[in-house]
Amino acid sequence: MAISLSYREKTLYASLAAELIVYGPYFFLHQQNSLNKVAGMIFSIIVLQIVVQMAIAIFTRNRITDERDHLIELQGYRAGYFAVTTMMVIGLGALWIHAALGQIHLDSRMMGLHFLSVFFGALVISDITKTVTQLVAYRRAL
Amino acid sequence: MAAIRNRIRELRALREITQQELADRVGVTRQTVIAIEQDKYSPSLETAFKVALVLGVPLEECFQYDPRGKR
Repeated sequence: MAISLSYREKTLYASLAAELIVYGPYFFLHQQNSLNKVAGMIFSIIVLQIVVQMAIAIFTRNRITDERDHLIELQGYRAGYFAVTTMMVIGLGALWIHAALGQIHLDSRMMGLHFLSVFFGALVISDITKTVTQLVAYRRAL
Repeated sequence: MAAIRNRIRELRALREITQQELADRVGVTRQTVIAIEQDKYSPSLETAFKVALVLGVPLEECFQYDPRGKR
């Protein structure tokens, strides 16, 4: 049976692909991360999202969104919010444990970088959680 | 079994209206019409009234509430 995708679903699949392509290296090449690379990733995801969303908008005739789309979007944001708060607590807790065990040194210079790393990781995971939650809701009808 | 059930598919077939036509006239996506017909999504009151209006039947003929059904 052919799967019919709405405009919102197409944009969500494109968003997920863009997120995995751009953010993937952040987790798998963690040792090589730097502030410049994080800034580059943020810039890349913005550009990629604009290009892909424009392409989908051009090639999709019916771009209507309705109440169900808004409800699913809210579900996604709720899941994303829980993910970001959970990841922040876990990330900061892990930082504290590593510092207490003496595995990392939290001086004033490094603390900002560690916090930024945890914050960016939490944002990335919450973004992906938000998108996946919405796609699952669409496939389950809600 | 869903708490809100409907006869949209049957009423639509009687009037020879496609899912896309109904969706366009109600102002929702075809995927939403499919979800409503399969009892997987309960529409808002406004959308339910619009569906009944397009199909030319009273609301209660189109949608039924089953208190034993799950939300």
